[in-house]
Amino acid sequence: MKRADQHIQQQIVDLIEACAGYWELRGIAREHITQMQLELEQHLQQAVSDGKSLEAVVGPNPAAFAEAWAREMRPRVFRSGARVLRGLVYALSVVSTSALLSQLLAHSPAFTFTLFAAYLLIGSGLLALLLQLGGFLAPRISARAGREALVLAGVVLAVLVLRLAGLTVNWSITLLSWSWPVSIVLLTLAVGLFSLDCWRTFHRVQASPASTSWPTLRAVTTFVASVGVFDVLLFVGSVAVFDFCRLALRLV
Amino acid sequence: MDTRSTQLLKGTLDMCLLATIAQRPCYGYEMVQQLAQQGLDLVSEGSIYPLLSRLQHLGYIEGYLVASRDGPQRKYYRLQPEGVKQLERWQTEWEAFAQAVERILKGARSDEESRPAHTATDR
Repeated sequence: MKRADQHIQQQIVDLIEACAGYWELRGIAREHITQMQLELEQHLQQAVSDGKSLEAVVGPNPAAFAEAWAREMRPRVFRSGARVLRGLVYALSVVSTSALLSQLLAHSPAFTFTLFAAYLLIGSGLLALLLQLGGFLAPRISARAGREALVLAGVVLAVLVLRLAGLTVNWSITLLSWSWPVSIVLLTLAVGLFSLDCWRTFHRVQASPASTSWPTLRAVTTFVASVGVFDVLLFVGSVAVFDFCRLALRLV
Repeated sequence: MDTRSTQLLKGTLDMCLLATIAQRPCYGYEMVQQLAQQGLDLVSEGSIYPLLSRLQHLGYIEGYLVASRDGPQRKYYRLQPEGVKQLERWQTEWEAFAQAVERILKGARSDEESRPAHTATDR
């Protein structure tokens, strides 16, 4: 029984996260999103405790419910820029740190940004967004693992269809190449933009009634850690893929 | 609930919500419960929230947070002076509409009752 409760709680959390992510993309002000999340969560909790399903609250199509509510909240396109800015900061941080690291480790004066790196960056950003919006499936597919598997299967299927359609890509093609001073400029830009975003978040948190400095501190730590992990993944991924391709070519 | 009732409720839900809030300030789930007590079951309960946002933007109602002892704050809605006027307008409109529909239905019913006699004379 307790396990079933935890399961439903997870479904509620995922559904609310998906709605919040969608509302942010639609350009609804953050303070409104917080209130909408609060209202929806309390409604879902009460409905579940009264023995109702999540579908009884959000209907058969939760995305349509989120869109209907978003339309009435006077969304502004420029507000969705906040999420784009966060993505840009993340991409800049990953690219500049990995460029600096590779220039330092390989003692090479220039860094080459390949199509594979661009694909990995954009692909992982889109995948993170899709996994968050996958919460819309929570009333139908209760297990998070099931939803994630469905999203991943969709991505793999799309890649396979493109491959079968005859799309061949040279992953090692160089898109951009730059020297170490440019990497430092990019890193400075990323730090500046990240500080701006943190300052904005900090002021918003301070304005809220239950304010603590922990969420901002946690956000900074999480961000730095995730950039580090992504750098490692990018490096390992590039080396592994290129080595695999070289080996495959030799065998052929 | 059949499709016609759903359609009828869809068209009048904003008015029903305004009337519910006019009785006393309440929060979303409370409104759904009050509607259900009156025999109006919503297909998706969450459909009240887009309407509440619309009513709020039109200045008919106002949302405010109330501190709760057991958990986080809860959002309540209360009627605004513009909402009182709008509710009166909607009530007048609805009564005129309902009377017109009732007259048509009564006419159809009396036609039905008199039909067997007509059929008998035709034969």
